[in-house]
Amino acid sequence: MSETGATGTANKGAGSTTLSRRRILQLGLAAVPAACGARLLAGALTSTDGAARAAEPAPDAPAYDPAAHDWAFVIDTTTCIGCGRCVDACKLENHVPEDGELNRTWVELHVVADDGTVAVTSPEGGRRGFPADEAAVPASIRDAYFVPRTCMQCENPPCTWVCPVSATFRTEDGVVLVDEKRCIGCGYCLVACPYGARYMIPAGETSPKGVSGIVDKCTFCYHRITRGMLPACAEVCPVNARIFGDLNDATGPVSVALSEKRVRVMKPALGTKPHVYYAGLEGEVE
Amino acid sequence: MTVHVAGRDLSTDPRAAWRAFRREVSSMPRALRAWFAFLLVLCLVGAVGALLALPPGWEVLGTSPSFEWGILITAYVFFAITTSGLCLASSLGTVFGIEMFLPLEKRHAVLALLCLITAFGVIALDLHYPVRMVLGAVLSPSPFSPMWWMGVFYGVYLLFLMVEVWSIFAGRWQIHRIACVLSSITAVLAPTTLGAVFAVLGARPYWHGAFTPPAMVTAALLSGTALLGIVFYLVHRLRLAGYERALTLAIPAIRLLLTIGLAVTILVVAWQMMFGLYGVIPGLSTATAAILVGPLAVPFWVFRVGVGLAAPLVLLLVPRTRTPEGLFAACCLIFVGAVADRAIFVSAGQVVPGTAVAGVVSTPFAEYGPTLVEISIVLGAFGFLGLAYTLVERYLPMGEHMGHLAGAFLGSTEAAATIHEEASDPVPPAAPILDPVGGAL
Repeated sequence: MSETGATGTANKGAGSTTLSRRRILQLGLAAVPAACGARLLAGALTSTDGAARAAEPAPDAPAYDPAAHDWAFVIDTTTCIGCGRCVDACKLENHVPEDGELNRTWVELHVVADDGTVAVTSPEGGRRGFPADEAAVPASIRDAYFVPRTCMQCENPPCTWVCPVSATFRTEDGVVLVDEKRCIGCGYCLVACPYGARYMIPAGETSPKGVSGIVDKCTFCYHRITRGMLPACAEVCPVNARIFGDLNDATGPVSVALSEKRVRVMKPALGTKPHVYYAGLEGEVE
Repeated sequence: MTVHVAGRDLSTDPRAAWRAFRREVSSMPRALRAWFAFLLVLCLVGAVGALLALPPGWEVLGTSPSFEWGILITAYVFFAITTSGLCLASSLGTVFGIEMFLPLEKRHAVLALLCLITAFGVIALDLHYPVRMVLGAVLSPSPFSPMWWMGVFYGVYLLFLMVEVWSIFAGRWQIHRIACVLSSITAVLAPTTLGAVFAVLGARPYWHGAFTPPAMVTAALLSGTALLGIVFYLVHRLRLAGYERALTLAIPAIRLLLTIGLAVTILVVAWQMMFGLYGVIPGLSTATAAILVGPLAVPFWVFRVGVGLAAPLVLLLVPRTRTPEGLFAACCLIFVGAVADRAIFVSAGQVVPGTAVAGVVSTPFAEYGPTLVEISIVLGAFGFLGLAYTLVERYLPMGEHMGHLAGAFLGSTEAAATIHEEASDPVPPAAPILDPVGGAL
């Protein structure tokens, strides 16, 4: 009885060994197409990781090393004249919809009355400048200034944390981008952004890569800066109110501006650590 | 050739099926036909809205960059919260073995499953790329995102509910008991994670904070129990399967849960407003002002406080209205209040523009108005839920089976078998169940 049992066990064991080998082969054969399929599927959804997802260097451009840069803006509100050329240039450069409510960058006019109340206007995002509107001007003004706005390219960006499919991410060189093939259009990053710097591309409009219904935002003109050019808004600013550069470059324009001007960031209490610094900004502007 | 479905033999021949369908419709009471027609119209309206909203029809939604989440998100939150509440209410019977809550188990399971399917349908129409979301959640998961976890928990919850419903109709009690426990656990995890989707947003002070997830559970319990109350009153009133236990056990159990739920919710709402009024946090005090005296004041005071909290509490507390009819009225009012609450919640987080602070006078509040397409989708969602549940109630054996649970808790299969036998359907499963007595319908 015990012999039979032992034989049975041995047979079972032998059968089990054979089956295991066969099973391993089956699994191996199944794994190859499965892995290929998953990779193809993932490829259909995404491009490659990190900065390379957005940066496609021109053939003649020198190799771009994201780890060597840390991009930032210093915006000088004391020199901005509210001409709106930056908004216009951004719209043209990045296929931003004509709708005045949808912008990657925009300019606000802040008028501070004597009693401390602030009236903010931004007609068409400031693209056509700020036509005089007597009715909107308070009886007595304490201060008035223009505030160019854009994505703050936060070091600790709430938008990337909340994205359920990792479609929005921060590159090594400090720019927050959106992967157009991954974005599902849920709008979570849009409500998570404390700076109102994102918008949904409406039907009929497309991103530079021809996609609609996804989130769009300022990329610091990533396709330009990775080729050694300035962002379009900084390029066209007639008064150099938008100073763009690399924080890693100690003698660069941003580092110089940061050392010479008193700057502040917006909503510092949220801990987002913006990479857009404002010079000459009033405390009540957020 | 015939197929056997829900105790009936159905012909696969189109002509025979059509004849059987016409016979079935003509055999229905007139009121039931009218009810089905009403629900079908709602579904049709919703289907038209859904077709218009399908990609690339996003322009039919009334949302904007300053108000990105509209009534489709409100509807999703409502249904997702309600499905959890249904499970929480019944878990007192299914998990903890409290006898008076046992009759809730079968109808809760079906309602919870249908509510969750409705919620998924609504959110799919709000997302611009729903298929990409499913693939993306698997291929490029984001464990730091509460929305990702919400998808995981509600996905798992759907699975457990499907097993729960299948096992209850198949009589697989051991599996059913495990499914009840697992679905009850996810019924707590899912709404709290849904709350966390809002709570983690530091940019939205009204939503932000540890207060939001537990408040979601309170809201879930209230709206889920109210829906059970509506259904069980109709079970009692129309003498549907298991109506005896509806009056003796289910309705008192629902009354108890609702009273506790209302008291807790009133405290939660009161403290939420008080906390907001102590306004040192700019966005929070502005949002609270919008609720109390601003653009959200009418929905808040009339529908949330008056209709949704005060009136039902009075109905539940005053001895004269402590009747099944009073409970039904209270449940309907709570249900309306719950819809208003979800709308106020979603709106209040966005009503304060993200780029302005207190003292900015030019754009004090962000504005949003739902489009006809959005409204039709929400109506269609309610229509779908009503239609699907009515079909289940009519064609599936809905008599409560609680013996297996009692047996499980008593630790005796004999006891389970005995109680199961006593509690089994008074009406044969093959017969139409939604037959009113005395022409009530």
